[in-house]
Amino acid sequence: MSAIAIGAKRGGLFRMGENLPAAMLTTVVIVSLIIFAHLAVILWLSFTDGAPGISTVSYGLANYVEVFTDRRTLDVLVNTLGFSVVSLVVALVFGVPAAWFVERTDIRGKTILFTLMTIGMLIPGFAAAMGWLFLMHPRIGLLNVWAMQAFGLSSAPFNIATVIGMGWVQGLNLAPLAFIMTAAVFRAMDPALEEAAQMNRASIFATMRRVTLPLAWPGIMAASIYIFTIGFAAFDVPAIIGWSNRIFTFSTFLYLLISPQDVLPRYGVAAALSTVVMALAAALSWWYGVMQKRSRQFAVVTGKAYRPRIIKLGWVVYPAWTFFALYFLLSKFLPITLLGWSSLLPFFQLPSAQSLSMISLNHYASQPWSLVLTGVQNTAILMLLTPTVTLAVSLAFSWIVLRSKVPGRSFFDFVAFLPHAIPNIIFGVGALLVTLYVLQRVIPLYGTIWLLLIVFSIARISYATRMTNAGLIQIHTELEESAQMSGAPLRRIFRRVLIPLLSPTLLYAWLWIALLTFRELTLAVILSSSTNTTLPVVIWSLWLGGGLGQASALAMVMLAAMAPIIAIYWIVARRHGLMASS
Amino acid sequence: MIRISHLRMSYRSAGERVAAARDVSIDIKQGQFYTLLGPSGCGKTTTLRCVAGLEEPDEGEIEVGGDLVYSSTRGAWTPPYKRNIGMVFQSYAIWPHMSVFENVAFPLVNGEEKLAREDIRKRVLAALALVKLEAYVDRPAPYLSGGQQQRLALARALVAEPRVLLLDEPLSNLDAKLREEMRVELRELVKRLNVTTLFVTHEQLEALTMSDVVAVMRDGKIIQEGTPHEIYSHPNSAFVAEFIGRTNLIPGMVPQGASAGAEIVVETNMGPVIAQAVSAFAPGEAVFLAIRPEDVEVSRMNGATSSNVFDAQVERLLFLGEAVDSFVRIGGQSFQMRMHPSAAPSFGDSIRVHLPRARCLALSSQ
Repeated sequence: MSAIAIGAKRGGLFRMGENLPAAMLTTVVIVSLIIFAHLAVILWLSFTDGAPGISTVSYGLANYVEVFTDRRTLDVLVNTLGFSVVSLVVALVFGVPAAWFVERTDIRGKTILFTLMTIGMLIPGFAAAMGWLFLMHPRIGLLNVWAMQAFGLSSAPFNIATVIGMGWVQGLNLAPLAFIMTAAVFRAMDPALEEAAQMNRASIFATMRRVTLPLAWPGIMAASIYIFTIGFAAFDVPAIIGWSNRIFTFSTFLYLLISPQDVLPRYGVAAALSTVVMALAAALSWWYGVMQKRSRQFAVVTGKAYRPRIIKLGWVVYPAWTFFALYFLLSKFLPITLLGWSSLLPFFQLPSAQSLSMISLNHYASQPWSLVLTGVQNTAILMLLTPTVTLAVSLAFSWIVLRSKVPGRSFFDFVAFLPHAIPNIIFGVGALLVTLYVLQRVIPLYGTIWLLLIVFSIARISYATRMTNAGLIQIHTELEESAQMSGAPLRRIFRRVLIPLLSPTLLYAWLWIALLTFRELTLAVILSSSTNTTLPVVIWSLWLGGGLGQASALAMVMLAAMAPIIAIYWIVARRHGLMASS
Repeated sequence: MIRISHLRMSYRSAGERVAAARDVSIDIKQGQFYTLLGPSGCGKTTTLRCVAGLEEPDEGEIEVGGDLVYSSTRGAWTPPYKRNIGMVFQSYAIWPHMSVFENVAFPLVNGEEKLAREDIRKRVLAALALVKLEAYVDRPAPYLSGGQQQRLALARALVAEPRVLLLDEPLSNLDAKLREEMRVELRELVKRLNVTTLFVTHEQLEALTMSDVVAVMRDGKIIQEGTPHEIYSHPNSAFVAEFIGRTNLIPGMVPQGASAGAEIVVETNMGPVIAQAVSAFAPGEAVFLAIRPEDVEVSRMNGATSSNVFDAQVERLLFLGEAVDSFVRIGGQSFQMRMHPSAAPSFGDSIRVHLPRARCLALSSQ
C-alpha cells in the first residue's frame, strides 16, 4: 500500500462525510490549547523579571529565589501545611466512620444519611466559615462570650482565627467528600475475605484490624491525598476567617500577590509560587493515581452479585446516631443558625431579651442593590451557561476519545484531566494573566462574564468528562452504527440516539455543575471586577468591608435559593440511582 | 448486486498493522444469499463492515447495486448513511429509548427521502407484519424478548427497502431452539422479498442451511467459494474439510503424481488408499486423506483382495441419539465412523470397513 493511500484515507474521523466530527475535533483542540495556554503563561511569567507588559522583559530565576527565601512565603507554607493537615484529619474523623456506618452496619435511614452527606458538599464554604466566626471569634464569638461569662474567664477560650481553627471549619466542609470516597471503598469490599478471617478464628475486632482496615487502606489513602490537595488550595475558609486576621494560606497569599491593596501586583512571584505548587500538585496526583490503582486491585472484581457483610450494631446504634447528629449540628446547623441570627440584628450580639427586641429584616432590605442585582444576574447567567458549555465540550472530548479514530486521541483524555490535577486557583491566576497580558488587546475579555464562563467551564471539565465518558462507554457502538445504516448522519445520531440515551447522566451532571457554579467563590474573586461580579463575590466584598449583617443576610438568601435546585437534583439523582462524587 | 474487488484492510493494533482483509474479491448476484464463513479473526466481519461503510478499507473497490461506494484508485467514498443498505447487528442494536414503532420508523424518518406520516405508518406496519410483530407496535423496545428484538432488528433493516441486506452473526445471541427456527424463517423471508443478502457467521450449520453461496475465509482471504453442497462434499483444503462438518484427516504420501480430479493412490499407515486428487500432485508429495465419518461403510468384502477395505477394532462408542459415533483403530490409525444406531457394533468388535473411493479425497497438506 502506498503512503499516498494512507494519507488519502479519511482518518476515520471525516469518513462520515460531514462537518460535525471536524467541529468536535476543533472544539477539543481549541479547549486543549486554552488549558495549556493557562499553564504556559504561568510558567513563562515565573521566569520574567519586573512587571510584564514592559517592553524590555528579562528572564531569570529572581521570582523563584524570592519564593524560597522570603520569610513570608515560608510562613505561608507552614500555615498551608498545618491548615490542610488539620482539615484532612477532621474530614477523616467525621467522614470515615460515617461511611463505615452507612455501608457496613445495619443502621437505619441509610438513604437519607447518604443524601444529607452528599448535599452537605454543596453548602458554600464561605457561609460555614462566616457562621463559625460568629461562634468562635475571640471577641464577639458566641461560645467565647458565654464561656467567659459562665466560668469567669478573663480571656476567650476559643479562637477560630487560627490555622487550627480554619482547618477545623474546612475539615467539616470536606467530611462529605471523605464520606463519599471511603463509602465506595467499603462498598467494593469482598465479604468473603472477612468471613474467611472469622472462620480462621479471628474476632470481630481482630478481623477489622487485620483484614478490613488493611484492605480499605489504599482507598482511604487515595481519598486522603485527594482531600489534602483540595485543602491545600482551598480559598473560601482562609479568605473569610484568615484574611482579616492576616493569616495567609497558599491560596489567599496568591490572591494577595495579584491584587494587593497598597503596592503593585507581583505577577512574577505569583507565577513562580503557582509553578511550585503545580509541581507539588502533580506529584500528589501521581501518588493519588498509584493509590487508586492499588485500591482497585483490592476491590471486588468478580461480576457475581455480592453484598458487603453487614454488622449488627446493637446498642452501638445510639452512639452512632449521636455521631451523625453531632456532625450535622457542627457542620450545618450551628453555622447556618448563627448566620441567620446575625443577619437579623443590627450588630452581632448574644441572644437575650434585649437582642430579641432588636430583630428586624433591615439587612435584607438595605443591600447595595445595584451591585447585588448585577451579581444575581451574572450568577444566574453563569449557572445556566456553565453546565451547558461544560457538558457540550465534554461530550465532544468523550466522543473524540472514545468513538473517533483520531491519532493521539487518548492525549485529549489526559488534557481533560489536567484541570482536576491542578488547583483551581492556579487556573484562575493563569486565566487572569492570559487575559491581561496576552489577549487584552485582541479580545478584551477582562471584566466580562465570558471570561468567568470560560474559566468556570474549564475548571469543571475533568468532572464532566468523567461523567460523559462513563455514559458513552455504556452505550454499545452498534446503537450508533445501526442509526448510520438507517440513513442518519452523525448530527442526527447525536440528537436521536446519543443525547436521549445520555440524558439522565447529562441532566444529573448539569445540575451538579450548576450548583457548584452557584457557590463558586475562588475563581470568581480572582477574575471578577465590578462589571462581572457574582453573588458570592458580592457577599465576600460586603464581609471584607465590614458589613457582616448584610453579608450574612445575602448568604442566607443564597442558601434559601439553593434549596429548590438541590431538591430537583435529589429527585433526579434518586430516580436514576446516581449519587455525586466531587 | 455487491461487487468487491481486491479489498485490503488492516488495523493498527498495539503499534502494529494487522491485516484483516487481504485481497478479497466477491461477486454477489441479485437475490443471492451469500455467506462469509470462517473462524473469528478471519476477516469476514471486516469485509462486511467495509461494505456497510463502517470501516474504510486501505485498497480495493466496492460496488453496491451498481454504484461505486468505495474505490481507492478513483477516490470514491459514500458515507454509510447514504448507501441504502439494511443491516442487522450481532447485538440487534435496538434503541432502548424508543418504542417498537419508533425503532422501525427511524430509517424512514431520518433517511434521505421525506415521507408522509401515513406512508411511514403503513410501511412500518408492513415491515412488522413481515416479522410477525404487528401486535407489539406500541411496546417500548426493551420489553421484547431476545427473539422478538431480533425480528425487530430485521424489520428495521428491511423497512426502507434497501438494495442489500447485511447480517452480522444475527443468530448468535439466540438460544439453540430459537436459532433453529430463525434459520429457516430468515432464509424464507429474504428469499420471498428477493433481497440480496450478505451474511457473516462462524457457524457452519447456519452457512450450510441458509446460503446459496458460501465463501470460506481464513486469515483475511477467501479460500473456497461454492454452493453448500460443493463446499461440504468437495472441500479443496484440509482447513475447509475440518472447519465444515467433521472429517477424518489422515496424513499420507502419494508415490505417483496425478492431475487434479484423477484417481490417486495415497500411502497411509493403514496401507494404500485409492482417492480423488483434489489438486495436481507431484510424485512423493505429502498429502492429507480426507473422508467424512458418515461415508465410511461396514463391509463384508475381503480386505486382501479388495481395495480400500480394512480390518478395524472398535475402541469407543458414542451414542448421539439419532446416530452412533464409532471410534475404530485400523493398524496404527484411529478412525471415526458414523452409523445408524441399529447397525452399530459393540465395544471390542472386530469389523471390516470400506472407504468408498469416490468419497476419499487427497488434499494438499499445505
